[in-house]
Amino acid sequence: MSRSDREAILAAVRRGAPHRQPHPGAHRAPALGSGFESFATSLAEAGGLAHGPFAPADLAGCVANLARARADADHDADGDNERIVASHRAAELLGSEPGLLLETASPGTRPHDYANVRVAILSGEVGVAESGAVAVSGADTPERSLLVLSRHLILLLPAAEIAADLHRAFAALPDDTLAHHHLTWVCGPSKTADIEQTLVYGAHGPLTTDVVVFRGNCGHDPR
Amino acid sequence: MRAPPLERRARRVLPNDAAVARHDAAVYDLRRRRDAAAARVPDWEALREHARALKHYSLDHLDTLLLRFEKRALAAGADVHWAIDAAALCDIVGGLLEERGVHRVVKSKSMLTEECALNPSLARRGIEVVDTDLGERIVQLAGEPPSHIIVPAIHKSRAEIGALFHEKMGTPAGETDPERLTRLARRNLRQHFLQAEAGITGANFAIAETGSLVVVTNEGNADLGMSLPPLHVACLGIEKLIPTLEDLPTLLRLLARSATGQAQSAYTSLVTGPRPGGSLHIVLVDNGRSRLLADPTHRASLACIRCGACLNTCPVYRRAGGHSYAPPIPGPIGAVLAPARGAGPESDALPLASSLCGSCSAVCPVKIDLHEQLLAWRGEAPQMGLGEGTAIRLAALVLRHPTLYRRAGRWLRRAWPLLSRRWPGNPVSGWLRGRELPAHPGPSFEERMRQRGSSQ
Repeated sequence: MSRSDREAILAAVRRGAPHRQPHPGAHRAPALGSGFESFATSLAEAGGLAHGPFAPADLAGCVANLARARADADHDADGDNERIVASHRAAELLGSEPGLLLETASPGTRPHDYANVRVAILSGEVGVAESGAVAVSGADTPERSLLVLSRHLILLLPAAEIAADLHRAFAALPDDTLAHHHLTWVCGPSKTADIEQTLVYGAHGPLTTDVVVFRGNCGHDPR
Repeated sequence: MRAPPLERRARRVLPNDAAVARHDAAVYDLRRRRDAAAARVPDWEALREHARALKHYSLDHLDTLLLRFEKRALAAGADVHWAIDAAALCDIVGGLLEERGVHRVVKSKSMLTEECALNPSLARRGIEVVDTDLGERIVQLAGEPPSHIIVPAIHKSRAEIGALFHEKMGTPAGETDPERLTRLARRNLRQHFLQAEAGITGANFAIAETGSLVVVTNEGNADLGMSLPPLHVACLGIEKLIPTLEDLPTLLRLLARSATGQAQSAYTSLVTGPRPGGSLHIVLVDNGRSRLLADPTHRASLACIRCGACLNTCPVYRRAGGHSYAPPIPGPIGAVLAPARGAGPESDALPLASSLCGSCSAVCPVKIDLHEQLLAWRGEAPQMGLGEGTAIRLAALVLRHPTLYRRAGRWLRRAWPLLSRRWPGNPVSGWLRGRELPAHPGPSFEERMRQRGSSQ
């Protein structure tokens, strides 16, 4: 089937692709704000909430409070499962915070095992000030079902990793980013406006998305 | 004169002024959001120009991009298939699913699979496909095609959706609150996600340099469909290829802003190879695209990134509704792509249903000259009805012969009062709906000159 289709398609495409147009090169976007304030404003417009920027010593306490608050306020959740799962890097950043009962995502976990997670805490690679998006890499979250199955999502982001726009944000990603199965830009909570244009958060994925921004590297290089 | 097909369908799709006004307002709201978002990007016009140039470069080098993409995707552990037409796509996907004994599939939005009628083909093989984008699920339950490429159920009211959910999903009768309806759908679809044996997605872009797919959604449904079932089948048109990762941000910055006025959609996922323990099959689909590529007049329409901005601004789409067009893609871009697909005489006539106002071209993020494309298709398609054809041939004859022209002028001046009235059988009564004939022009220049000559 597809062997001959492949040759036929390529032959036809060659007839219409004379290789005459030049590549336009890179787009040079004007420099805009890349600070926490711009990021927080954009994220709020996308339905999320930015917190911080926190000193490294305050990070774990803030995340613990936030995770508890999100879990407690969710009266609509099925069952009584209150699992809070952190990715490997996020757990390292948080250390042993007594106020937070964390499970660490371990390799070998099946994607379906995250079906009843109340809060997921993941580490973000880079943030985008113009949109409020944060990149989550397969390096930190091999099973990315966690990203969309959990009812609430908390992303940890170093303040120094906020880029002004998407061009600069892509350029700031670690070189081996695409060596992992996925790279997901998360911009606020899951949302839909498919019923009479009424915006509803939590269409399929998290109902809330919080980004906790911290200064310095918390004694750990997130890269 | 017969009303053109789109106009006839529109009277059924949006049957009264209230329905037209509701649809118009809902759709135009998206246009306004797009304008506000664009105004906040200082380099917006430069971005559009960059995107246009990128897409044209990509189309112009499509053969090498396809080969590089295939190589990199294979290296990343994916399987790559090629489908020359809709039937081939359905065979490949159906075969993949059957070989693995798959009966339950979750699908995220893909206009390509609509175009190729993948769902009905899989249903014939006994495979249940559940559309998971909320809007797509609504139209799937209703047994209708999407009426908008971004907001598939924009034509439905909350009451209609509530009644549909009650009938098909057993939700409480009389529920019309959008938030509660969305929650009910979420709960129902979550079970489908957890039980599915395969996930089918489209792709917004494919990156040749890395073999990655880029999938953009607001709901996160594609991410669930790609991360839960062991098998992911991605179907994409060959025109989705772009050269490098560096080219992607330009297109992403334009896509969500043009579609809904968001700076970025909630989930932009770059997928390179299968997930741990899973498998990824990528199907590259031609289905007429290579023919369009070789046609210098119309190849620009292949640059479309499916944002829907041309629908939201189009005065015809806004008042006619998506179901007045040829499925699956309505609006100006649909009216340009339908005749390219050779979908039949009704599709060939779609370029006629346009005011050629150019608003579509003005908002297109990749600067497709949509109104020029519409005009070009008018010139090519054998789409004119008997009435229009005869009228134009008659006009040509009259204009070529001065004597005939003078006589026709006299006859028409006399017949004027009759023509401007709406009597059954009036050959121009179709045109008089929403139009008025101009006032009687009085005697012609020649007649006046003659009168003046005789009076002197």
